[in-house]
Amino acid sequence: MFSPLARWVGFVLALCIFPQASFSADWHQLTDQLAPKITAVTGPGVVALEIENHSSISAADVEQVRSELKSALSTAGIKIWQPDQASATIRITLSENLQNYVWVAEIQQAAEERSLLIVSAPRPASSVGGQNARPLTLQATRLISRAEPILDVAVIEGNPRRLLVLGRDSVTIYEFTANRWLQGQSVAITHDKPMPRDPRGRIFLRKDHLFDLYLPGVGCRSGNAWPLTMNCTASDDPWSLAAGPLQSAPESGSLEPGLSVFFSPARNFFTGALVPGIGKQKSAPPFYSAAPVPRDKYVLWLFAGIDGQLHILDGINQQNAPKIEWGSEIASVHTACRSGWEVLATLPGDPGQDTIQVFEFPDRGPVEVSQKIELPGDLTALWAGQNSESAAAVVRNNETGNYEAMLLNLTCN
Amino acid sequence: MRRCCSISLAISLLYAVALGESRPHYGGTLRVAVKEAPASIDPGGTAGASFLASFVFETLVRLDDRGMPQPHLATSWQAESGDQRWRIFLRSGVTFSDAARLDAATVAASLRAANADWKVMAAGDAVIIETASPRPALPAELALMSNAVARHENAKAIGTGPFLISQFDPGKHLSLKANDQYWNGRPFLDAVEIELGKNYREQSALFDLGKTDVIEIAPENIHRAEAAGRTVLSSRPFALMALAFAEPPKSADESHARNALAMSIDRTAINHVVVQDGGEPTGALLPNWLSGYGFVFPAGKNSEAARREKLLARRVTPWTLRYDAGDPVSRVIAERIQLNVRDVGLTIQLAISGASDLNLLEISPLSADARVQLRELASALGLPAPKLAGSSAADLYAAEKALLETQQVIPLLHLKSAVSVRANVHRWNSSASGEWRVEDVWLSAEKP
Repeated sequence: MFSPLARWVGFVLALCIFPQASFSADWHQLTDQLAPKITAVTGPGVVALEIENHSSISAADVEQVRSELKSALSTAGIKIWQPDQASATIRITLSENLQNYVWVAEIQQAAEERSLLIVSAPRPASSVGGQNARPLTLQATRLISRAEPILDVAVIEGNPRRLLVLGRDSVTIYEFTANRWLQGQSVAITHDKPMPRDPRGRIFLRKDHLFDLYLPGVGCRSGNAWPLTMNCTASDDPWSLAAGPLQSAPESGSLEPGLSVFFSPARNFFTGALVPGIGKQKSAPPFYSAAPVPRDKYVLWLFAGIDGQLHILDGINQQNAPKIEWGSEIASVHTACRSGWEVLATLPGDPGQDTIQVFEFPDRGPVEVSQKIELPGDLTALWAGQNSESAAAVVRNNETGNYEAMLLNLTCN
Repeated sequence: MRRCCSISLAISLLYAVALGESRPHYGGTLRVAVKEAPASIDPGGTAGASFLASFVFETLVRLDDRGMPQPHLATSWQAESGDQRWRIFLRSGVTFSDAARLDAATVAASLRAANADWKVMAAGDAVIIETASPRPALPAELALMSNAVARHENAKAIGTGPFLISQFDPGKHLSLKANDQYWNGRPFLDAVEIELGKNYREQSALFDLGKTDVIEIAPENIHRAEAAGRTVLSSRPFALMALAFAEPPKSADESHARNALAMSIDRTAINHVVVQDGGEPTGALLPNWLSGYGFVFPAGKNSEAARREKLLARRVTPWTLRYDAGDPVSRVIAERIQLNVRDVGLTIQLAISGASDLNLLEISPLSADARVQLRELASALGLPAPKLAGSSAADLYAAEKALLETQQVIPLLHLKSAVSVRANVHRWNSSASGEWRVEDVWLSAEKP
């Protein structure tokens, strides 16, 4: 059984909690280093203790450090007291550098020269907290997280369920076993030429064989059985964009069985050359992503252009929408409520913290149907699923640096 | 024996360039103005590696934001024989900009040329580096631009980097174009045009006239530029401004006098008034954020202690202090030091040329690895190489303390470095040591 869908709020909170949990402080390593060194200088007796925090740790952690140090010194026969009744003053500065916590103890004993002790221990990689979550009806099912870039993911139903994860240089199969995705076979993808700096890729599930892969300058065709076999060749063939929604379109005869678009092999965008085209239109402006919005008798296609504008094609006319300030990633998802088709779109915002929002396109302009949702990092990929009911998204988590692949679904309130 | 790092981490860092907000746009020419006026971009050049070399040449290793070595042209490394022998495994599929393959023999030749005291050998898909003494920080040393890999053909240096030189007018102008075959993905920019040898005022004028997209901002002008509404990206205080003596003290008297000099300087006032808080007063060679203990070296003015030290120095000869005549801020700082020492009974004469007893220096940062940075600072200051007993903060402190106890250097400030960029310049990035990483920069159409 596939894991239950988690609400987005749960997902975001989970991402926030994990780094903080891993950051819970254990100061024993440092106090255990420092206390014996102090004891070796002062010997047993009464000392005054000052602790000053120059590091990024919290006031609560400072109190914990104070408590642990007092305890460790007490065990060694050192009693903490007021300065005027102490034989030595110990000033401990809690500092840090790029990689370590650095604690410096300066010990002044009567007329003797100041003694200086330094101990250090590694800092955790990140100590930054997360952001507030907002309740939404956009649901995210987290699939996998890994350090290597993920260009696209797709779930293949069956027993077992399989998850295809497309990376720059390989496609990896995960099998859903014992309530988790377990990594299985990985098949390499060879490139004759360097991949573009902002690599993109697309998995397209097929009926006569398992899937096709599209990468800049490379095309791969899988076999039709497991274990996976795959044949990759240098190819500039057009990428299938969104056959799913169109295959299930009304029987008006005006819809194409599928739409493919040429990808610029050394860049990160589609050239705009359409195969076979949208109605009479055979090309769109160069674009990063596209979203079909089926109407009764035609399909309205939205293109996030490389010029930063949204371009709308209906098979006859092309309209530019300069006032619609969307980002470069859009995808459409079919729902059982509202107008039936919603568009997920990224929005301009702070660098490194992408925002996504859900829109309807009842006429020629978007209507917001969700709140803005802050993602936990950059959205690096957003592709509509071929079942039309979900979209595959990849976010590079700001905290962990990992690429998180997820399925996005919309539910009606 | 240990083996370090993974390819995957490097790739994940390097390819984190896509934004859903807006994917990077390809194309355009970035126009930059800089103060430096190098005669050569060759990282092995006699004048040392220009920071501009990183556009064209690459190192085997890069340091991340935490100063940790990460794979670049090398994929991994392992230490043998107590850190005296290192095996560095090279990335396959890397080519120089003239399409020649990067191989172990070329890398070994390049490293040998840059490090006369290293024994470097090619061994299959790896190079082996042997050193006379243990070098636990060798991976971090490999991240220095002076160790960038260059192949020399007809007296011309060729790199593997994201850009290649299309035209170079030494000291005046550098034109770069994108390396379409760059192994790590072609940069988004088509070209970079760099005006060399422009002082801060000239750079600002070019920026105001719309003739450049990126300029350097002097530390003392950071706040002013921000107040003027410019986008300013500044670093942590890192560049060291210090007084450096040409020789060690020759007598106890001179030693006391140098102590008095160090205690008499009002670094806080210099930072606040002259540098406009564009740095931090320091008594340490390494900034506190890099070492963690820098605050223990006193940086405050202590006139009383300075006078006591002066009294212990019975015979003191006046010093000559040389400063950079082309830098008005250096002149003002030198004059302030002159006034400060006069208060405690010492005499300094200022000079802009000729022989001098001490120099006012500014040393640019080279490494975000504290051990390597300390070594490089010692080299730049003419001090003996620091002796590090281990890798702990306490070991580093002991080595830095020993360098300061030579009394050949008096740290004054750690200065920030900053650039101002236009609003259409995206993903401007620099390493922790200030090296520009332009391969991810992209330009959008500037809104009116």
